[in-house]
Amino acid sequence: MKLPQGAKSELTFVGSLFALGLLVFWDTARTEVPAFNLTVSPKVFPFAIALILMGLCAVLFIKILRGDIARPEGLEPGDPIEKSDYKTFAIVLVSLFAYLLLIERAGFIIAAFVTFFGITVAFDNKKPLRAIVFGFIFIVVIYISFTKFLNVALPAGIFKGIL
Amino acid sequence: MSSLNSLLDGFASALTLSNLGFGLLGTFLGTLVGVLPGIGPALAIALLLPITYTVSPASALIMFAAIYYGAMYGGSTTSILLNTPGESGSVMTALEGNKMARKGRAGAALATAAIGSFVAGTIATAILAFTAPSIADLAIKVGAADYVALMLLAFTTVSSLLGSSQIRGFISLAVGLVLGLVGADLQSGLARLTFGNQSAVEGIETVPVIVAIFALGEALYIASRFKEEGWKILPMKGKALMDRADWKRSWKPWIRGTAIGFPLGVIPAGGSEVPTFLSYAVEKNLSKHPEEFGNGAIEGVAGPEAANNANAAGALVPLLALGLPTSATAAVILVAFQTYQIQPGPTLFLTNGALIWTLIASLFIGNTLLLVLNLPLVRVWVQLLKVPRPYLFAGIVTFALLGSYALNTSTFDVQVAIAIGIVGFLFRRYGMPITPLILGLILGPNLELQFRRALQISAGDYGTLYATPLSKVLYVVLILVILGPSLWSLRKKFANRKGYVTK
Repeated sequence: MKLPQGAKSELTFVGSLFALGLLVFWDTARTEVPAFNLTVSPKVFPFAIALILMGLCAVLFIKILRGDIARPEGLEPGDPIEKSDYKTFAIVLVSLFAYLLLIERAGFIIAAFVTFFGITVAFDNKKPLRAIVFGFIFIVVIYISFTKFLNVALPAGIFKGIL
Repeated sequence: MSSLNSLLDGFASALTLSNLGFGLLGTFLGTLVGVLPGIGPALAIALLLPITYTVSPASALIMFAAIYYGAMYGGSTTSILLNTPGESGSVMTALEGNKMARKGRAGAALATAAIGSFVAGTIATAILAFTAPSIADLAIKVGAADYVALMLLAFTTVSSLLGSSQIRGFISLAVGLVLGLVGADLQSGLARLTFGNQSAVEGIETVPVIVAIFALGEALYIASRFKEEGWKILPMKGKALMDRADWKRSWKPWIRGTAIGFPLGVIPAGGSEVPTFLSYAVEKNLSKHPEEFGNGAIEGVAGPEAANNANAAGALVPLLALGLPTSATAAVILVAFQTYQIQPGPTLFLTNGALIWTLIASLFIGNTLLLVLNLPLVRVWVQLLKVPRPYLFAGIVTFALLGSYALNTSTFDVQVAIAIGIVGFLFRRYGMPITPLILGLILGPNLELQFRRALQISAGDYGTLYATPLSKVLYVVLILVILGPSLWSLRKKFANRKGYVTK
């Protein structure tokens, strides 16, 4: 059987949502309910949601096989679905993870700056020096206004005592 | 009249110097963020949530009211000059407004959008002020089983009416419900879907999810479809003013737009997509210049813009009176309330009356401030459109991550945010609407609570769920909403077979 263009990746996506339903079902089945009397067990909702999710995914799976391919957001009917730009995507994703790794180790300023700069690189910024200067000022201003004026705690990291 | 007195008290507390300052700051920030391309009111509010973490509830709500309206004003500017609607409610504005701007009539388009929003917002807020308390009075009599029916109806309409495909909407909802399950069960304390993670026991915070699914998801999605070409901003000549003919052609669409937008905001009709579209269709049909539609008809900006604003105020009625959000933006505002341990619902006017009247008063004030400040300043905002794309996305992402972390100063929330960002990317790529997921996450636990409460009262008799007249009506509507689209296409097929030409 020949699948329409783009169907394979969408089938994988819907399949993984089905797997999510299965995971919810399995996790609910294996936990034991505390032994006091409840009218509605805490398992009822998870079971119901898992079954609904799996059922819907199965229906959509069949629909995709019959040619009901999703239209990516922002595209008009008939627009060609272009191949994703994995390079830009990957740099953005790595920048996000950099924040996660650095926020408590190096502090907000470093973490946010690395993320900020990474994303400007991903979106093909032609002037890296300007991005560095501008990004640094932007983040320091945010840091100071949040910690000093809004009393929101952000980790100082290596700038402890300086700012 | 007691409503009027309470409202005047509300004005008194909203007009103190510090609260007025927060209102001013909110209009400024709301417009600032709303003008940025691709950012709608829901994301604007979500991004600005961290600013209010340490502010007092009254000041924070005043700021939110201002941000809410400000983001909508900003969004219409972007739609007109850049043709990138930040949310579904501005699509119609972009359609005609952008054509007007191309003809050198950007000023008139911006003016009719702003003044129309002001007129609609003021009328709608007035209706809100005088109806919400009485709806809340009625709502106190609404039982747990009715709530179950109401929430199921809200889920169904939002999942069915948004996006192009009903089933994808329902899957999005189901994923949101799964996210809502994570954590300790409220009644039994049973840990669900935590997989031994201690941070997960407290449940998934809604703020990181909302911020991530909009901001990170959008950044990843744009990155995956990245092309070098930038935006094309249309120049704006002259001032944002309307001439006599423009006024004459605008005022009726404003009123009609308000009349369409407000009621559709009160009932769960899935946000601003339907009312703005309806208003556009109505104006096109009633217009004396139907040939101008599609080429820059001022009615096509005036009507939908008014409908959009009236709709936003209408959505506050079920939110304040029932605790039921009917759009993504309303859901974000609900989260903002919950950050302060305030649960909107029928008792809200009794428990937090002063606060709510302050909020309503500040809606009036914010609306006026926006009109007075923004029309003359529109050129300043237009400059913001020139922020290069790399900086724009870098700034949005940095802010989103800051908000996720600062909520509990925990890296678990950042992990959640990144994971949800990837989910948001996949949803966009595979045409799944996002609002149902947010509603599922926020209302899912509430639905379970009311469901159990209803069955406890009835001692386990499931018949109680559809025992009241209200719940019966709601379930009938629900079935119609689910079956409607399929029946509609069947009818079309049938008509085609008979040889009618249908569009």
